[in-house]
Amino acid sequence: MSVPSLPTRVALVGCGAVAELSYAPALRVLSAEGLLEVGALVEPNAESSRRLETAFPSARVHRDATALSGATIDLAIVASPPRFHAEQTIRLLREGISVLCEKPMAATSLEAESMIAASVAGKRILAVGLIRRFLPAARTIRAFLARGVLGDLQDFHFTEGGRFRWPTRSADYFRPGAANGGVLADIGTHVLDLIVWWLGEPTDVRYEDDAMGGVELNCRAELRFPAGFQGVVRLSRDCDLPSRCFIRGRKGSLLWSIDEPEHLTLHFEGVPWVVSGRLHELTPASLQPGAGRRAANFEQSFVEQLRNVVASVRGEEQPFVGGTEALAAVRLVESCYRHRTLMPMGWLNEREGARAETLSLQDTVR
Amino acid sequence: MRVAVLGASGFIGSRLVEMFHLEGIAEVRPIARRVSSLAGPSRFRLDGRIADGRDRESLAAAFADCEIVVHAVAGAPSVILGTIAPVYEAAEKAGVRRLIYLSSASVHGQNPASGTTESSRLSVRQAIPYNNAKVRAERRLRRLRARGTVELVMLRPGIVFGPRSTWVSGFADALIDGKAHLVDRGRGICNSLYVDNLIEAIRTAMSAPSADGEAFLLGDREQITWADLYRPIAAALGFDLESLEDAVSVDPDPAARALLKRARRSPLARGLSAVLPTRVRRALKSATSGLEDPSAELSAWTRPTAPRPIATLEMELLAKCRYKLPFDKATRFLGYEPLVSFDLACRRTVAWLEFAGYPVRDPSR
Repeated sequence: MSVPSLPTRVALVGCGAVAELSYAPALRVLSAEGLLEVGALVEPNAESSRRLETAFPSARVHRDATALSGATIDLAIVASPPRFHAEQTIRLLREGISVLCEKPMAATSLEAESMIAASVAGKRILAVGLIRRFLPAARTIRAFLARGVLGDLQDFHFTEGGRFRWPTRSADYFRPGAANGGVLADIGTHVLDLIVWWLGEPTDVRYEDDAMGGVELNCRAELRFPAGFQGVVRLSRDCDLPSRCFIRGRKGSLLWSIDEPEHLTLHFEGVPWVVSGRLHELTPASLQPGAGRRAANFEQSFVEQLRNVVASVRGEEQPFVGGTEALAAVRLVESCYRHRTLMPMGWLNEREGARAETLSLQDTVR
Repeated sequence: MRVAVLGASGFIGSRLVEMFHLEGIAEVRPIARRVSSLAGPSRFRLDGRIADGRDRESLAAAFADCEIVVHAVAGAPSVILGTIAPVYEAAEKAGVRRLIYLSSASVHGQNPASGTTESSRLSVRQAIPYNNAKVRAERRLRRLRARGTVELVMLRPGIVFGPRSTWVSGFADALIDGKAHLVDRGRGICNSLYVDNLIEAIRTAMSAPSADGEAFLLGDREQITWADLYRPIAAALGFDLESLEDAVSVDPDPAARALLKRARRSPLARGLSAVLPTRVRRALKSATSGLEDPSAELSAWTRPTAPRPIATLEMELLAKCRYKLPFDKATRFLGYEPLVSFDLACRRTVAWLEFAGYPVRDPSR
């Protein structure tokens, strides 16, 4: 572990779109604060690492994560394609390097458990990049639900979707075998993680998607919880679904547009108005609830995520989302795929429908 | 037979890939401009390729070993025209036998004259730039065909609707947002073409021997109005089509409106405003108010109301149409028959709306 007064030495493993668009700017912010320095970049594709080499000129560039063995690295951010997460994370933890693993943590719960075991055995931090837990609205919702603000819950609807526009450079993203799945493994990991974090683990799962030999573009899950309420999750890389979460209780309901991490809308039964507004930090010195600084936006929350992980590596904090915390979402994704059926697609003619059923059976094991 | 589908992530391309693959009509090769656009075809295990429609080299590589290329790239006039020569020449280089180009019935305008057929004279001086681009694209293709080896079939579909169509989702969104309206009560003839019928035409165009160099108008069998198209969508979502307001005026050119807004905010305009007499200022404002968004004028003493519906120029022209375009040439040359009735097409479209998360109340409609 590094000496606290020195910057934490960070390696970025995988220099694809998420590394470039999200991790690099956050790393630059904390680097400017003197909290960390990027000591290594690991990327097999020279073209992919070129932009990050410019951003972090003092970092050593490696084509393989095994090159980090013996390097003075405190924290590795594993942002490689998901199929490499478990292998790379376990290897790094065994080398004595703490890991922040981008979601999805692993393809299977077995892999995830091995990663956690490696973290425990090596006494190193394993954090998982579930950024949405850091968003102010998500944290406020958790606090509201824990305090029973909405009363006994009745149901929820979580929808998120639109044409897939993530600037991925590799077609592996969609290749069965190379990708761990489609929209469920991708966005669904975030969504299911929040649901478990807010509401606990469901007891019953029904799941359908539209994979017909490939990876799913659309999916729908029905989740039933021990308290008796149920919810629907509908995700798409295809249809313009409203990206929002609606939770209804007996006292009231709340609506969160996921694209607005610092906004919430609340309604209470019998009141003809809704409260819809921006979240602010509570002014600490005030007797009344004074609205302080604006709550963090997505980008600022991403920095906070990284700050928490660095502080954890330094022994100053606990990781907000550790491996054990993230395991539940991996299990839930796995459970969904295990229960999968083909989504009804009423626009297909009879011949197409029959063929779609046959093709969908080819995809039961990922 | 291996068929390359250029524009495989679009509304028509995605249904084409889906239908050809599931029906086993051909071995499909989806081609998209970006990796992210392969998300849709990746529901199936297919050999997807990346190629820019303006890049001959990447196109030729993507077309390799394909007998047929379907050009289903949608976009602005620059995209329409910029892809024509590269696609044709790449097809030639790759040894493609036939290129099927998805043109549009819009080459005849949104309100075609009675008696219009494929042989009617086309104009590049139409009010809508898209129409002119499609006319020019067809002319370029004919010139390329005259000196090239790749056979060419140009299809002119009318209003193509079905799953993922913006005619459908756009109207459904407008209904939900309270912004839907009709033009002329929806009485105009809608030259509809259910997407599966278009794909049937593409299927027939792949092998029809005497189709080379020809253009074909395509439509559904039934003559329908815009109200007929919209009614099942409205009913499925629990809206009464007849209660929708009629749009009253043509939307002025958005570019002109933006220009006016910029001009008003310019230092010169602000300076003039300060020195011009009030009467002159009011007269100027009155003269240009037709170019402004009516919802922009709000008073602190009144609560805002929904803006009056304004039709676009395209919708205004479409709504005036009183002529059903014929498809008898496609029947004679290609053997095309619209296999899906309008009624069934609407039911399938509503089934997609439900799939896509719209609050469909009666999926059986």
